[in-house]
Amino acid sequence: MLTVALQQAINGIVFGSLYVLVALGLTLIYGVLVQINFAHADIVTIGAFAAYLFTVALGGNYIAGIGVALAVGAGLGCLVNAAIFAPLRERSELLPLIATIGVSILLQNAMLLLLGPIPYAFDSPYSNEVIRLGGGTFITWQSAIIVAVSTITVALLYAFLKLTFMGKALRAVAQDRETAGLMGINPARLVMLTFVIASALAGMAGAMLGPILVLTPFAGTSVIVKAFAIVIIGGFGNVEGTIIAGLVVGLIESATTQLVNPGLTDVVVFTLLLLMLAVRPTGLIAERREENV
Amino acid sequence: MTAGHGEFAFGAGLHARGLHKRFGGVQAVRDISFDVPHGGVFAIIGPNGAGKSTLLNLMSGLHQPDAGRILLDGVDLVGLPAHRRAQLGLARTFQKIRLLRGLSVLDNVVAAFHLHHQLPAWQYLVHGAAFARDHARCRREAMKLLAFVGLETRPSLAATSLAYGEQRLLELARALAIAPRVLLVDEPAAGLNAAEVERLAERFRILRERGITLVLVEHNMDLVMQVADRVLVMDYGEHLFEGAPAEVQTHPAVIAAYLGGG
Amino acid sequence: MFGRTRIDRRAGFLVAAAVIAVLPLVFQDSYWRATLIVAAINVMLAIGLDFVLGYAGQLNLGHSAFYGIGAYASTLLIMQLGLPFWIAFACGMALSGVAGMTLAVFAARLRGHYLAIASLGFAVIVHQVLLNWIGLTQGPLGIYAIKPPPAIALPGLPVVSFGNTANMLYLVAGFALLFYVLLDQLVSSPIGETLAAIREDEVSAASFGINCTAWKVFAFGVGAAIAGAAGAFYASFVGTLVPDAFIIIESFTVLAMVVVGGMGTLIGPVCGAIVLTILPELLRAFGDLRLVLYGAALTLVVLFMPGGLARAARRLRMHKVDVPAQDRQ
Repeated sequence: MLTVALQQAINGIVFGSLYVLVALGLTLIYGVLVQINFAHADIVTIGAFAAYLFTVALGGNYIAGIGVALAVGAGLGCLVNAAIFAPLRERSELLPLIATIGVSILLQNAMLLLLGPIPYAFDSPYSNEVIRLGGGTFITWQSAIIVAVSTITVALLYAFLKLTFMGKALRAVAQDRETAGLMGINPARLVMLTFVIASALAGMAGAMLGPILVLTPFAGTSVIVKAFAIVIIGGFGNVEGTIIAGLVVGLIESATTQLVNPGLTDVVVFTLLLLMLAVRPTGLIAERREENV
Repeated sequence: MTAGHGEFAFGAGLHARGLHKRFGGVQAVRDISFDVPHGGVFAIIGPNGAGKSTLLNLMSGLHQPDAGRILLDGVDLVGLPAHRRAQLGLARTFQKIRLLRGLSVLDNVVAAFHLHHQLPAWQYLVHGAAFARDHARCRREAMKLLAFVGLETRPSLAATSLAYGEQRLLELARALAIAPRVLLVDEPAAGLNAAEVERLAERFRILRERGITLVLVEHNMDLVMQVADRVLVMDYGEHLFEGAPAEVQTHPAVIAAYLGGG
Repeated sequence: MFGRTRIDRRAGFLVAAAVIAVLPLVFQDSYWRATLIVAAINVMLAIGLDFVLGYAGQLNLGHSAFYGIGAYASTLLIMQLGLPFWIAFACGMALSGVAGMTLAVFAARLRGHYLAIASLGFAVIVHQVLLNWIGLTQGPLGIYAIKPPPAIALPGLPVVSFGNTANMLYLVAGFALLFYVLLDQLVSSPIGETLAAIREDEVSAASFGINCTAWKVFAFGVGAAIAGAAGAFYASFVGTLVPDAFIIIESFTVLAMVVVGGMGTLIGPVCGAIVLTILPELLRAFGDLRLVLYGAALTLVVLFMPGGLARAARRLRMHKVDVPAQDRQ
């Protein structure tokens, strides 16, 4: 009984770590730009396929494949920002979101045409070997890598945001774009940097998800829906909240799979999301700021 | 503090008692009270960040105070949302111009007639004679308001193509469309030149003659001197001084606050 | 919208009715008639969404949920409870409308992006419920042998059967026109002005005495009810019902129709729906390219032509007829 619970908890943390990577990207973008990139999901998917191609098709090293996915993600993020968010910046609150919905549909179905709907078998060399942990639980090397890489990445990102000048500049732009601009920070460049970081994270997440999820052109979609929930629960733009929320959602998902019905995980997560919106729309760690009318 | 607050009968007019508002770590408004008699003109001045706009927002219902009461002709407004207060006759303009983009000058004013339509419900779905009459009446009234602020020559123009000063006047016309008893104006003179300020003062005088109570937050002392009966000076969210305009200008504490002593 | 004369408008409706009357005569092929019926259903979905998105300014990404609720509710009421078609139809519309209003009440305080995600979450939940509540909906197996609306037998006239695609086309297109007319009347009334105020600036709207929450609930209710009607027609036309007909991508395709056609113009989404239904059929040789086209169209229109087809048409008109720049719509 305890073994099962512990095992589920471990699974929850593994998935949770991946959700955190994806959600962090979304929340960072929202923080600086107050916009949502709907195509974020597809960057995850493309990252997964990039790693697949590098590893399985070209025989490269899996860990290096994660790096490749990171680079591919970064490049895509750069493109999306340049093509969509930068030109539409002043015009409207919702148009960029709608444009990214269009991009997402386009990418997913283009991938469907190119790659077909049949899942790809992405086996990393670490998928099958297992580490025995105490209490009868175990973790595959793949999952261990996921947790390790995610933790290191998030720690580095956190340090970057809190300790470096660039990181602080990023937070400044998120708080008050105009003033940051007046202080000599170039908001447009910082927004681009944010996109690159966020999309790199998404690509990495894709590379690590590939071996454990069903790899089709829609792989990213299953994750993005939860990522949105996480970003709202944690609070748009709130890094700490997103990390906590990501792990919590991973654990809840695990528990639901075990205790209730695997088909209902989305329902549970989203019901939680809707409750959160009803009670505390600004997220776990709320900040009350005065609106300037 | 100042004399005469406790014993005021809460009859006609706008009264505030003990208003407090905190945002995160900042006490934006602390223990503010005032009385504006029906038909009076009350100005609120103070250095930037003094909490003047916050006070206006508390009165109009954009935010609810943490403590205190606001009474309009005897009705406590605290707890009522902004649209309810508008229904009770409280209109306002905004510091940031908030026109309805994409609509014409005339349509901006017409939109504000929301409360004053006279239509049976079914005529919203099938337009009949009453619809046509209401449609015409609203546009006539809107044109009158535009004439009041001097914008009647360009009703079909896109609202966003007006000059800054004219956009402010359009906001005023819009606010008057709800036929208010009390009008809250947030920095109406911002960005206006001396001639425009003069015309604005003239309009406020006319409104006052019509019996509308005015509360204005303003930096432009010229305007304040011309129209206000009484002036409240705020600093750091607190009540610094209240009196007639002439008194306020020469009060040492007020001068110190503006010069940065506080 | 306020500039067009009433004669203009009434003439337009009559022309539309005439076109609909003639359609089944022009298109005798049952495949094309089916396509037109689907187009009419999409028109209903698009104008319902435009009312919420283009007029009230609320980014509702959950429209597929109301479509599905209407379809399943009306079908189940007929097949499980034996209700007559039109009663079930009305109930389906009402249930969808209530669902829309519930979402709106819930999401009333939410700004743009939060509302978008909340509505998306709502659509996910509804889809998952349809998929997993097997006792009620048969889940992924679906419901089969759904009958078309019952034949109308008026004394002295030939029986009108809706198994006949021509009659079904008249019925569905007729309802689409009816809903269009009703919405058109609504948006050119003071209600349209109220919604425009909410769309442009809720803070200002509140200062006019507009109860933004109540009106958003109204807009959602109306849009959702019309989507519910579309669902009921879909079920009774297609004859089978599976939950995957109402996945989130359906919300996005309707969104594409509204945006490509031109948000907030009502006639734009009609054109968008017709174009985006018929064009992929014309390009059937390209098969799976349909969704790629939707995605491309949506993205490109937002980037380069945000007013959609409607604005493009208006620009053409203004170049041809020398309309002074001040004569705005």
